[in-house]
Amino acid sequence: MKNVRSWKLLLPLAGLAAVASIWVSGAFAGAQATNVIKVAIMTDCKGAFAFGYEFDSGGAQAAFAQYAGGKVKNKNKPSAGMTGIKIGNKSVQIVGYGCGDDTVPTAVKETRRLMEQLKADVMIGPLSGDEAVSVANYAKSHPTKTFIIGTAGSQDPTLQIAPKNVFRYHGDGAQWNAGLGEILYKKLGWRKAAIMMDDYSFGWTSGAGIIADFCAIGGQITKRVFPPLNNTDYAPFVRQLPRPGTVDGYIWVIGGTGTASSLKAFEQAYGKIDPKQHAGNLFFAFLGADKVVGPKVVGTYVGGFGTGPGLKTAQAKAYEAVMKKWYPKLPAGDGFVYNYYNAAWALIRALKANGGQVGAALQRAMPRTNKSGYEVSDGGVVKLDSRRQAIQDQYPLQVVRNPDGSVGTKIVGYVPNVDQSFGGLFKPSSPAPGRSQPKCVKKKLPWQGKIREVRNGVITKSVIK
Amino acid sequence: MRLRSDPRGTVERAIGLVVLVALAVGPAIFNDYWVNTILTQMLIFGIAAASLIFLSAYGAMTSLAQTALMGISAYLLGNMVTQGGAGGESKGLTLGWDPTLGLVLAVVLTTAIGVAFGAVAARSFGIYFLMLTLTYGVIANYFFGQVTQFGGFSPIAGVDRYTPGFIGKIVGHPDKLYYIAFGVALAVYLAIRYLIRTPFGLSLQGVRDDPVRMSSLGYNVPLHRALAFGFASFVAALSGVLFVWWQGQIAPGNIGLASTIELLVMAVIGGLTRIEGAWVGAFAFIVINNYVRDVELPLVGGSFNTIIGLIFLVIVIVSPDGLMGIWDRLWRSLGGRGGGTPDSASVTRQAAPEASIP
Repeated sequence: MKNVRSWKLLLPLAGLAAVASIWVSGAFAGAQATNVIKVAIMTDCKGAFAFGYEFDSGGAQAAFAQYAGGKVKNKNKPSAGMTGIKIGNKSVQIVGYGCGDDTVPTAVKETRRLMEQLKADVMIGPLSGDEAVSVANYAKSHPTKTFIIGTAGSQDPTLQIAPKNVFRYHGDGAQWNAGLGEILYKKLGWRKAAIMMDDYSFGWTSGAGIIADFCAIGGQITKRVFPPLNNTDYAPFVRQLPRPGTVDGYIWVIGGTGTASSLKAFEQAYGKIDPKQHAGNLFFAFLGADKVVGPKVVGTYVGGFGTGPGLKTAQAKAYEAVMKKWYPKLPAGDGFVYNYYNAAWALIRALKANGGQVGAALQRAMPRTNKSGYEVSDGGVVKLDSRRQAIQDQYPLQVVRNPDGSVGTKIVGYVPNVDQSFGGLFKPSSPAPGRSQPKCVKKKLPWQGKIREVRNGVITKSVIK
Repeated sequence: MRLRSDPRGTVERAIGLVVLVALAVGPAIFNDYWVNTILTQMLIFGIAAASLIFLSAYGAMTSLAQTALMGISAYLLGNMVTQGGAGGESKGLTLGWDPTLGLVLAVVLTTAIGVAFGAVAARSFGIYFLMLTLTYGVIANYFFGQVTQFGGFSPIAGVDRYTPGFIGKIVGHPDKLYYIAFGVALAVYLAIRYLIRTPFGLSLQGVRDDPVRMSSLGYNVPLHRALAFGFASFVAALSGVLFVWWQGQIAPGNIGLASTIELLVMAVIGGLTRIEGAWVGAFAFIVINNYVRDVELPLVGGSFNTIIGLIFLVIVIVSPDGLMGIWDRLWRSLGGRGGGTPDSASVTRQAAPEASIP
């Protein structure tokens, strides 16, 4: 029997005992309290968007603090949590923070953990495109749970998949780029362009918005190039682009570190970057942090993120004041913060309206409008369409040099009431954006010819010509 | 007839019976999350790990292609059975074929691909075999990730809504999938136990122990290895079908390097010496992976991946034969005899790389 005392045996046995105790506690969970509404916040804490973890948590919790009495535990670290959230006589408990990594398997795993193990009634999230595709599919199989997309930009969740328990109070990636094509056509005189976009849901959807907008006004996309996601060497893909001189410009829909890498590869292949020949989606707006590439793209036009940082309206200032009050270090104008805030706010309004009921009752009560901070149209109200997708104002940006010498962005246009269908171009029955979708077609878009100039954060009456 | 005295075998059979009964009445004793997520997942990944352990323990072939084969089967099924259009799925071929036909084709085609993989790898041993099968895994991952017609980076979703008529709907009836997984796992376990006692299984073990001698005796060593790989592919294909029914969707990340390593870790934790280890390892992996997420430690904080890694490191250091090895040692230290793991030697005695097969 002396061998039993061997550490090599006792240690694993201790481990097994620990696992067994966890098992017992988890496997035979007791009855659930009925006066607690369980909310999960699904975001990313790993991968390319790991920085979104605090932004997303803070955005959602600021709404709970402002409208439901939530008490912030740490103003500098939103993920530290929140207590004391009450709606009527029911308390709201944030049962967990999903830790995604921008991939589908982790998103599914985390969603199951939050919704089934921690028994959340509602999920606010996820953060990114393919995660939202997987969550929407999960939602379809779990109709009693409610999902409010955090800040994901893929089109499918609310157009092709569109389960009745999924809501999105912000635009998709295509909507965020509405107006950019028209600006390139009118202000820079582009007629032919090539596009390089990440080969996945968000890349396709984001690119689809620019293609649709540019082609609708009469432009042509002569080449589409698709580097795989998380690619590091863009030289072979840059070489697939038409040479300068054969197109008027290049559109970049490349995320993460690829934004700067792809531009560097272009510069090595074709020489100095002319800002008038380049444009990009929201990832271009992040180039300010790149001290090498950032200054080279000053002057380029960029798609938005559904937000209006720097917009000088009373509603925008009120929203920014709320964020500053609860989480002063979070950038209120960032889409991650803003979109999660609006998602949580809409949830609070629904719970207040229906006395804290969840399930189908909550889904019926989810508001079809929301007075989001940066909205201007229709008295500053974002509306949901019949598939519970936001119709939202958009603000194309331009990369500029700030007075302090740093590189940032400013709003240059106001595109009113952008809907997900782009005036009927995207339909539930049409294929989701992909390598060959959408086709390049001339079409009258609802906002065509109505994009108004924004100067110093003020929406002017003059239309972009 | 007088039975041979085998106290250890009796104890193991008793434990096995208790586990079987517990699993059979699982939905009555465990909560929904445990049944639908922990146990169902354990059964599915246990099947895949069993295919790996079968190859390793009885063929001296540690394969890193089992996750890929699992994924190939899931991808084939997803592409064949899902439907596109309004309210349908948005990724993949969306062929909309009959789910029963899709199921059969997914398993048959994956097995055929496995036989082809096996035929190519059959003359490689040790680290070379490992690298070759890793290559299969990488190819599958890149193929499905970059050939967007088959899905691309986005998931092929909604596969759980297209199940064969003889199974019926599993969406909203998770216990049904649990029992299907339980039945398949039991059948796979019994099939492997049967196979290793057949003339093919015995000669495969001969190939494992000394391929040169077996070749000299006239056995076709590469053919034995290729067929064994084919059988393991069939088992992996079954787990792939169950997996995509369980998760509802399949994406390249499910067959990436991390997932490949995870399956290997399950097999190693359980013990590469015995088939039972597949489910023991899968259970331990899934429980640890699930519950350590909320643990915070000094220095490490809430970095659960680090904590999980440390736990697995300790298990492997303490017991190279995994949890099943701990049971072996526990039995021996209590003075027990009998039973044993006749195959355990094989795991560390992989066939020599220099062995030359004519």
